[in-house]
Amino acid sequence: MLLAGFWFAFLALPISGPWNAVLIGGACSFMLLAIKLFQTAMTTGPAGEMVARLWCALGRMWGQAAWLVGDRKKILVMILLLLSLPWVLDRYTTDVLVVTGIYVMLALGLNVVVGFAGLLDLGYVAFYAVGAYTYALLNSWMDLSFWPALLAGGALSMAFGVLLGIPVLRLRGDYLAIVTLGFGEIIRLVLNNWDNLTNGPNGILSIDRPTIGGMRLYQPMHFFYLVVFLCFMTMFVVGRLNRSRLGRAWSALREDETAAECMGINITYTKLTAFAFGAAWAGIGGVVFAAKQTFVSPESFTFFESVIILCMVVLGGMGSIPGVILGALVLTVLPEALRELTLYRPMLLGGAMVLMMILRPQGFLQMHGQRLPASAVLPGDVRRGREKTHLGGDT
Amino acid sequence: MFRMVLRVVGFLVFITFLVAPLRANAAALKIGVAGPLTGDQAAFGEMLKSGVLLAVSEWNNRGGVSVTGTKMKVKILWGDDRHDPREGVTIAHKFVNSGVVGVVGHFNSSVSIPASTVYAEAGVVQITPASTNPKLTEQGFSTVFRVCGRDDQQGEVAAAFIVDKLRKKRVAILHDKTTYGQGLADETKRFLGAKGIKPVFYSGIVQGDKDFTPVLTAMKQKKPEVVYFGGIHPEAILLVKQMRERLGIKADFMSGDGVFVDEYYKIAGKSAEGTYLSFSPDQSKIPEAKNIIQMHRKRFGKEVGAYTIYSYVAANMILASIAESGSNKGSKIAAHIRSKVWATALGKIQFNKKGDVLESPYVFWQVKGGKFVQLN
Amino acid sequence: MFTQQLVNGIVVGSVYALIALGYTLVYGILKLINFAHGEIYMIGAYIGITTLAVLGAMGITGMSITLTLVLVFLIPMIYCAAYGITLERIAYRPLRRAPRLSPLISAIGMSIFLQNYVQVAQGARDKAFPSLLALGGFNFMGAYISGLQIFILATAVGVMAVLQLFIQKTRMGKAMRATAQDRTMASLVGVDVNRVIAATFAIGSALAAIAGVMVGMYYGLVNHYIGFIAGIKAFTAAVLGGIGSVAGALLGGFLLAMLETFWAGYVSAIYKDVFAFAVLVVVLIFRPEGILGSSDSSDRV
Repeated sequence: MLLAGFWFAFLALPISGPWNAVLIGGACSFMLLAIKLFQTAMTTGPAGEMVARLWCALGRMWGQAAWLVGDRKKILVMILLLLSLPWVLDRYTTDVLVVTGIYVMLALGLNVVVGFAGLLDLGYVAFYAVGAYTYALLNSWMDLSFWPALLAGGALSMAFGVLLGIPVLRLRGDYLAIVTLGFGEIIRLVLNNWDNLTNGPNGILSIDRPTIGGMRLYQPMHFFYLVVFLCFMTMFVVGRLNRSRLGRAWSALREDETAAECMGINITYTKLTAFAFGAAWAGIGGVVFAAKQTFVSPESFTFFESVIILCMVVLGGMGSIPGVILGALVLTVLPEALRELTLYRPMLLGGAMVLMMILRPQGFLQMHGQRLPASAVLPGDVRRGREKTHLGGDT
Repeated sequence: MFRMVLRVVGFLVFITFLVAPLRANAAALKIGVAGPLTGDQAAFGEMLKSGVLLAVSEWNNRGGVSVTGTKMKVKILWGDDRHDPREGVTIAHKFVNSGVVGVVGHFNSSVSIPASTVYAEAGVVQITPASTNPKLTEQGFSTVFRVCGRDDQQGEVAAAFIVDKLRKKRVAILHDKTTYGQGLADETKRFLGAKGIKPVFYSGIVQGDKDFTPVLTAMKQKKPEVVYFGGIHPEAILLVKQMRERLGIKADFMSGDGVFVDEYYKIAGKSAEGTYLSFSPDQSKIPEAKNIIQMHRKRFGKEVGAYTIYSYVAANMILASIAESGSNKGSKIAAHIRSKVWATALGKIQFNKKGDVLESPYVFWQVKGGKFVQLN
Repeated sequence: MFTQQLVNGIVVGSVYALIALGYTLVYGILKLINFAHGEIYMIGAYIGITTLAVLGAMGITGMSITLTLVLVFLIPMIYCAAYGITLERIAYRPLRRAPRLSPLISAIGMSIFLQNYVQVAQGARDKAFPSLLALGGFNFMGAYISGLQIFILATAVGVMAVLQLFIQKTRMGKAMRATAQDRTMASLVGVDVNRVIAATFAIGSALAAIAGVMVGMYYGLVNHYIGFIAGIKAFTAAVLGGIGSVAGALLGGFLLAMLETFWAGYVSAIYKDVFAFAVLVVVLIFRPEGILGSSDSSDRV
């Protein structure tokens, strides 16, 4: 353990300087030691007890939450509580919830592509951008208002989704991921450089707010209700899709593409619809985003954004709708709550990604009926045992 | 599944209510300060920070600012926009939602302009220490001000300098495609055109890119005598280095206030010698400024930067207006700012209806012997 | 202008080629795209700066320029090799049997982590790489060639020649080739697969370190973000040339650099990156095995 500490201190030396390196090395040793002790002292000892109690408390809250939605009446109460939030919370927090809601929509959309159909899309943010810019541009040129723009944005994004899907039909796994990454970056760079169309890095200003019957929606509270409505709609549609024939085709595609094809499933149609639907939702989310910010610029649509949305899906629970929503909530609210740590945010995210993949690759909430292929990582002895039988190898 | 979702939401609502009380708001007068606090333009952010901190500490040491009778301490809300317009707008929303009485910011024009629409919609006063693009004050918002000059002024001075002082005819123009950079380059181009000079080369470069040799090579073909760059110091450094060291281009290099930072000649070294930059006249000559320079030295242990005093003045103006008018409403503060001639560390300042300073001269400086020297 | 653009592309090409080698070596053995490889390159550049600072403080820079040069390359190489091995051990080895998605996410996570780590530790501003060699330049066939460019090209070519020799002639090289062909069989004939994989990462990272130091010397500026873009471009180069093939990485690196430079010089400077990404997308769609790769893509599934 100490050795590991020294090693990390060594690695950190040229980057963090001698003092910090020692600190880092010490912290690493300490953590590793703690984990080791943890494993043995988890059930005994005061520290273990505290952790166990904390765990129980969380579990109780989880159970409590289940009780709260036990029957129809309670569900109604919960929904009413949810809808009353903007009156209780301050403007700033409501705004955070609005942003969260948009991400929930995006994550649900990406979930269709990655979670249901198993197509790894690293350039999802491109569709988000298409939706946002559609509204921005059509609003600038033709004064198109918000509601038709929702349709326009969704439709155009869907078209782009199909456009992306066609050339990548043959690709699988890593290559698909990289191509989608490339596609996402191309969209961002074109938006950044095609000044005549998009005003380049300076973005498009003064996008109109939505209006309902003459009332202009501009406060976070207004957007809250709009977004909650859209979220519920998204959940509804996505849920139904999942249970439909198309959804089952996606599951088959995800589990084993070759077998699915042999069963007579039209792979082309299945893949393209997955891309199309996922993209459509990103487009809708983009329109809402543009209306909320009244401003769009290419910098909102970087690869890092794609990664965050992907994390919401993967870490929250791939393929599981509540899991994805949890992921979206956590990954939007947590950074806001920990504003002091903004500097370290990507580091924490990156570390979380690695840890989650090692410890719990299926995400927090597992999807119903999802079984991991036998080759998936299983924690603990089984894995170590298999490694030990490797000729000449050791851990 | 629906139930599960609500369960998740309920669970998180629990947690939110646990965390919420941790962020209680004390009664204080909040001002927002936004700029590139981190990132490749953090040099600007640092100046912004120190200038504002000096101003605010001065007020807080005097007991605070009196608003409608009560004296309140001033609290600064920082916003790091990393010169990204999107971040700027997000921060603008945050500031507005947090109830700030005024904003010092942003720094880059491409950020200030979108942010200004948010502030204007909410009626929050915004004073920028450094955004020079004319569009900012042409939008017709009554609560937007700037204490610096405008790029049409800079462009005019630059064109005059090239034609009358340097007497050069072949001018290449480069820009970084941002509101500020391209805006400045285009203004210079316009004024050169008025003097009968058309640039021999005009191209944009991408901010953040490292290798400009391809575009510089294309430019070299046209044999320019002067290269005018509308942009900021990170790219200026790379451009001038690659021009001189890789391609042996001897043309004069010229730019504007976005490059007027120590880092420029520190990092570009020998290649930066002889660069012409337009900026306001030497601040250390103004008596009120001397005080600030002293305070800055004492508190931060180093000299003021090019924009420190601008930031100080902007912050001071907001706070003084609140104190003098006794109101914390944006419209009243704005009206007060426009109502008088301010004696500041930048000289006498008076604003016109648009929010521009009535008089804001630009002069040329040059990098000589490893520092900035004002040319007469 | 043509020759000048050619010259412009040389250094860029060398850098891409060196980084691409790291990608291609790792992919050949693990069938994994090491997303964090670009960050290793960036770390190499930063370690180069630190090394120079230390050497300068110790007075070695004044004394012997050759020793400084050797050390400024050697120390980052050693460190980056260490980083590479650690990276593999922490983020990839536990996931060796996992479905494709997990190591990819883990790789992206490490990439983000390292990027941010350097940003936190070293600041987000550009950092200056002190200039070492004041080699002049000369005009040749209408182009201005600087001594530094020749130095970089020579170093890159030399390194790659050494690498090729290593892979062909040494035992470890043979072991690497064997493991790349068929991991299980290799372990059955007694190859220590873990050791080979660690060595692969070490070599790839060391090469990236060389590239990092070269970039620092050439541009004089580094920041924590250069890894991302260079990583993607180098990956494009590796794919273009044929992933899994050393010669392919070389060819891809120079070819991509030339294509990019000429595009930027003759067509449009601002769409340079779009062009590179477009190349990536097109190659992956129409000829994923690259120029020198074999059409035998039975292992693509």
